[in-house]
Amino acid sequence: MANTPPASDRRNSQMFDRRRATATSGHLELLSKMSGHLAVTLNLEETIQKALDLIVKFVKAEGGALFLLEDKFATLICKASAGPVDIRGIRVKSGEGIVGQCVTEKSSRIVRDVQQDPAFDHSVDDSTGFQTRSILCVPMTVHDKTLGAIELVNKSTDDGLFSETDLLMLQTLASAAALAIHNAHMAEELVEQERVSRELELATEMQRSLLPDTPAAPFPVSGFNLPANEMSGDFYDFFELEDGRIYFSLGDVSGKGMDAALLMSKTASLFRCLGKTLHEPDTLLATINRELCETAIHGMFVTMVCGLLNPETGAVKLANAGHEPPLIHSRDGTFSALPASAPPLGIMPLQAGDTGIRNEAFNLDGGTLYIFTDGVTEGCLEDGSRLEQTGFQDIIRERSELPAAARIEAVVSILSDTGRKRHDDITLLIVEDKRSGLDNHIASDGPGMIARHTFPARADALQAVREVVNNACETCGCATETATDIVIAVGEACQNVVRHAYGDHEEGDATLEIYCEGGILEFRLQDSARPVDREKIKPKWPEELGPGGLGVCLIHDIMDKVDYLPAPEGQGNLLRMVKYIKRKDNNET
Amino acid sequence: MKHEILKKQGASIVVFTGEIDLESSPAARETLLKCFEHTGNVIVDLSDVSYIDSSGVASLVEALQAAKKQGSQFALAAVSEPTRRVLELARLDKVFTLYDSVEQALENQA
Repeated sequence: MANTPPASDRRNSQMFDRRRATATSGHLELLSKMSGHLAVTLNLEETIQKALDLIVKFVKAEGGALFLLEDKFATLICKASAGPVDIRGIRVKSGEGIVGQCVTEKSSRIVRDVQQDPAFDHSVDDSTGFQTRSILCVPMTVHDKTLGAIELVNKSTDDGLFSETDLLMLQTLASAAALAIHNAHMAEELVEQERVSRELELATEMQRSLLPDTPAAPFPVSGFNLPANEMSGDFYDFFELEDGRIYFSLGDVSGKGMDAALLMSKTASLFRCLGKTLHEPDTLLATINRELCETAIHGMFVTMVCGLLNPETGAVKLANAGHEPPLIHSRDGTFSALPASAPPLGIMPLQAGDTGIRNEAFNLDGGTLYIFTDGVTEGCLEDGSRLEQTGFQDIIRERSELPAAARIEAVVSILSDTGRKRHDDITLLIVEDKRSGLDNHIASDGPGMIARHTFPARADALQAVREVVNNACETCGCATETATDIVIAVGEACQNVVRHAYGDHEEGDATLEIYCEGGILEFRLQDSARPVDREKIKPKWPEELGPGGLGVCLIHDIMDKVDYLPAPEGQGNLLRMVKYIKRKDNNET
Repeated sequence: MKHEILKKQGASIVVFTGEIDLESSPAARETLLKCFEHTGNVIVDLSDVSYIDSSGVASLVEALQAAKKQGSQFALAAVSEPTRRVLELARLDKVFTLYDSVEQALENQA
């Protein structure tokens, strides 16, 4: 049999339904009003306060407070307060008191008589003189995350008790408030993120301004830097000295973050500043090293190459501290590497010279120097494999006839258009020998020949050779000081033939041919001894103090180009030395 | 190349004249090293050297090393322009002690 309630109860129930209907329409009105406020608020605290006032009034409570969790959810702080006592700013530990328990347990509570509830904290009443009798407390949560709680005290109706309807009402309002607070926090974070990203943008711009402007073609040095993130730990720079030589540099700071970027900026500034006065790359690197060591940041270091190019002669002097070996792409298509002579900068004191950072002197002779960071050789291709040095060389070789900018573009696009996230900065510096007429060698039997001297490969024949050279220099009208230098260089070359090519027991002749055309003075020294070991004729000074090593060094220092040509009859050695001369009558030396 | 050795204020003064090249540098080397058979400072007068090559420079370096070993002073005096140029190119102008004149070198003896 169905449980049918008595008629009087049914009446009561109908009345209750009507009351509830009225209450519900009032609720809805309040809800829509508050949600509207909360949704569009720009001033969260004011809106929260308004909402709390409306709730307190609607539920007919004596007072109310809204608490938010702060200090990593350890403390609740009262942000809004309604009623006779303003308790804004009071702090409650999460988990303590009724509001604290509400928050940690994520559950609402109706406390009809606080005196009977052991969780009730009397301290606020004691300090304010307010007397709390009943409490309605609801946590504010968004996506399971608790932000705080709303608490109402002392219902001001006859029985002074909060009802289930009040609870439902407050829960609904608390959800709306929680969402608004959550949105406001997100908006604040967005603003902060925006601020940080604007700062980063400025820093990026600042850092890019440290890189040199692209000079008008046909400048012999060009560079490119593509950071993996906003800030780069790589840098390159170049500038012209008053004497026309060009200082260039490229470096890579260990690490990738903002700290690396700042150390990069410091190193780049040191290069530009000190490079104006220190015109020896080894001394410059040693000095930068000293500065970096003085303010060492633990575990950070800089690998760096710097060098000087004389664009008039193609001569390069270069020092390498711990950096990936730069490559020389010679005119004949071969590649050679220039390994580092010293450890990276910023680790330990280093001297310039033999025992520390050493200068390498060479002539580009129409070739090109490539300096790059490991972001190039270790960069990923579309298939995930690394470019490696071989891949890099292939790109260069295939495009050697194209301008430097096209070669840079090719390297960068193959590494950046892969659809993969790059992990390292790509930085590349190209130093070219752009002199014109490099291929205009003087025809060996043409009218350019001004002297031919055959001599026995003996020490006592050298003085006569020097006289021939000196006379030839005078004939060409080259300046006295240049002539002195040339005599030294050719003298050393002849001395090497006497000392090395024939050995102690062999004797033979050597022939020196001298050509002059335009501003080019060319010497060809032919012997018929066994082929020399090319490694031995590379300048190694001052590693080797012996006269042989020193002599080769002098030749390379003085001459603009030194190379071996194929010997005409396939026998012996044919050394070519070229000097670009300025005439005496130009009043230049 | 010709050479002459003078004694002044306890020091040996070696005066070279002419060209010090592969042909003459063995003699130059011998002359210099002979000075170190006895203790005493050595000053080399290079005012009349019109040419020096790497083998000549090597002789000077060897003499400098011998002096250091012995604790004597070794100085180059009145270095001629061509000689100075080679020392500069070889970056040895800072390695040797150079004086404008023999007198100045003598005054600066320890």
